[in-house]
Amino acid sequence: MSKYLAFTEVVFKDPALLVSALEQIGCTQIRQGENLPMGRYWAEQDETRADVIVPRGTVGNGFGDIGFTRVEGGGLAPVLDDLDKERALGGKFLPRLRATYNELAVAQVAARVNGTMQRTVNGGVVKIRVRF
Amino acid sequence: MPEIEFTIKEETGEMELQVEGVQGPACSDIAKLVTDLVGAPAREENTREYYARPQTVRQVHQKS
Repeated sequence: MSKYLAFTEVVFKDPALLVSALEQIGCTQIRQGENLPMGRYWAEQDETRADVIVPRGTVGNGFGDIGFTRVEGGGLAPVLDDLDKERALGGKFLPRLRATYNELAVAQVAARVNGTMQRTVNGGVVKIRVRF
Repeated sequence: MPEIEFTIKEETGEMELQVEGVQGPACSDIAKLVTDLVGAPAREENTREYYARPQTVRQVHQKS
């Protein structure tokens, strides 16, 4: 082993990969732009803006749109109601999105190094070996 | 054969990776490929192999 890296921050660096990952986990009618207003359920909710938006009701998010807003340093951070965090995709929206996004990123890395991929799943852990 | 092993936990979506069999700064090039897509790592460690210098073989040809 010559290097070890661990990624824990919930920021999606590549917008195109993010949209692909959202589509893979069942999000439809995704809106993309700049500073778009997010739909909300309660009139008292603060108006929030985002650059990538999954409309309310798409994946069990009943309390508002799920947005992704640009952050300093690059990338898009999720913006969603706490109640939707517990309800969207049965409370698994962010973990499933991150896992799907990361798998897409691994596939891109494998393609860049002309590597072969071997994927195994064991006890909720996905291991992908890229040999090159 | 050089290898990158990615580990993704389904419960959280978090990812870790280990680069193996790549000596020297070439390892950083691979890390950059990943961080360009995934962002900055929360933890990064270079191991002993990272600091190993790639071996060069000197060839001497005799003129006949």
